[in-house]
Amino acid sequence: MQFIQTIIKILSKYGNFYAEGVRNTLIISLMAVVFGTLLGALMALARMSKIKPLRWLATAYIEFFRGTPLMVQLTFIFYGLPMVGISFPEVSFIPDFSRFMAGVVAMSLNSCAYVAEVIRSGIQAVDPGQMEAARCLGLSGGQGMTMVVLPQAIRNILPALGNEFITVIKESSVVSVIGIADLMYRTNGVKAKTYNVLECLATAAIIYFILTFTFSKLVAWAERRMAHGRKS
Amino acid sequence: MAANPDSNISEIIRVEHLTKKFENLLVLDDISTSFRTHEVVSVIGPSGGGKSTFLRCLNLMETPTSGAIYVDGVDICKKGVDINRHREKMGMVFQQFNLFNNMNVMKNLTAAPVKLKKMTAEEAETKGITLLRRVGLEDKRNSYPYELSGGQKQRIAIVRALMMNPEVMLFDEPTSALDPEMIGEVLDVMRELAEEGMTMIVVTHEMRFAREVSSRTLFLSDGHIEEDKPSHELFDHPESPRLISFLQKVL
Ligand SMILES: Nc1ncnc2c1ncn2[C@@H]1O[C@H](COP(=O)(O)OP(=O)(O)OP(=O)(O)O)[C@@H](O)[C@H]1O
Ligand SMILES: [Mg+2]
Repeated sequence: MQFIQTIIKILSKYGNFYAEGVRNTLIISLMAVVFGTLLGALMALARMSKIKPLRWLATAYIEFFRGTPLMVQLTFIFYGLPMVGISFPEVSFIPDFSRFMAGVVAMSLNSCAYVAEVIRSGIQAVDPGQMEAARCLGLSGGQGMTMVVLPQAIRNILPALGNEFITVIKESSVVSVIGIADLMYRTNGVKAKTYNVLECLATAAIIYFILTFTFSKLVAWAERRMAHGRKS
Repeated sequence: MAANPDSNISEIIRVEHLTKKFENLLVLDDISTSFRTHEVVSVIGPSGGGKSTFLRCLNLMETPTSGAIYVDGVDICKKGVDINRHREKMGMVFQQFNLFNNMNVMKNLTAAPVKLKKMTAEEAETKGITLLRRVGLEDKRNSYPYELSGGQKQRIAIVRALMMNPEVMLFDEPTSALDPEMIGEVLDVMRELAEEGMTMIVVTHEMRFAREVSSRTLFLSDGHIEEDKPSHELFDHPESPRLISFLQKVL
């Protein structure tokens, strides 16, 4: 009981602190998934390209970013790159812009690798006979892709992208280590002020869970809607 | 319906010394033959003998390793041939139907000809309805493939190929994936097509169809044409030992 009372006390006193953290967590996650999806689509195309060097590069990228910790990628971009003269500019009207950019870039590059695999497997899950039939009618590879394969692949891809967003929300907590004021960073701040370690962390866990649970329900709902329309 | 004896009827496809290798596997070994307009030819032979590969070389779904394939007098194996325009001339029907799962029946029929500007959307729709009526499936125009039986899907796949006004129809075991009770409805459509004078090359396990509908039958085994004769002759007087043992197994 004491435990819950403390949590409520923390929330009422530092609520706007947490709220700002949630906002930043969502902004970074959303940007990472949007950029990750755009880049990931291109990466998936490169990964399936007929041009060997391009395919090889894309495969190397995907394997590398999936095979190393996001924490390493993030700190490398934020601390490592400026040492070789690459750093993100500061903008006067957005505080901590370069920090924020480093976080978004690292998260996007990382998400790109996962999304590329989601898109590739979504496309490859479509029966090759579909493309074959399109080509036999005289349609080009591109026409077969846009008219026949992608509309079917999208039904595999969209739910997986939703899940990727959920993963990114959780993973984004690492950006707190470079000082971005996300939910985890704010939690640490409140923890340091109140010394209620357990209660602060429990609050963070509950908020993260509410976020991911809500989105996973949304994804499941969207998935059901799509399956409702047509079966394959 | 049997052999067309009129030798003036023009040759539409001539295959010369066609060879196809996959890596080091020789699948078609020096094949030469020809097909005339309105001819219906069956291709039979043991599994793995190269029947599908042969058919797929004709519409360049496989690239021949060497040799020539003349269609309307033009060697389609030469560089610079517009593969997509060539494929418009060759309708293809698959064992697995391959109807577009994301489109209803009418869309399946009209998508390619409209996209390729062969006809307007209205013309395609009118033609689609006419053809659907002929195969008895006019009422399925708004159905999706998953709502259809195998026999219905295959009849629609045939109509889809016909929408492009092909010069030749290629069939790769069109009835092999069908439940026995649906084979007849598909063979009936093919028989009608043959009677209308469509040029057809049919890879098939249906020996009755080969014997009764096609004027000529090729026996393809191990990448060679072992026998190439008028169908009745091939079935009644098989010569090569391989054909004899093949026919004993399937008949
Ligand atoms: N894309 C490919 N890559 C490598 N080998 C292939 C490929 N396609 C076919 N083959 C091989 O070529 C040979 C002939 O295959 P093909 O499919 O033409 O035979 P088929 O006569 O149609 O047999 P079936 O009656 O089983 O359909 C087989 O040994 C097959 O494994
Ligand atoms: Mg075959």
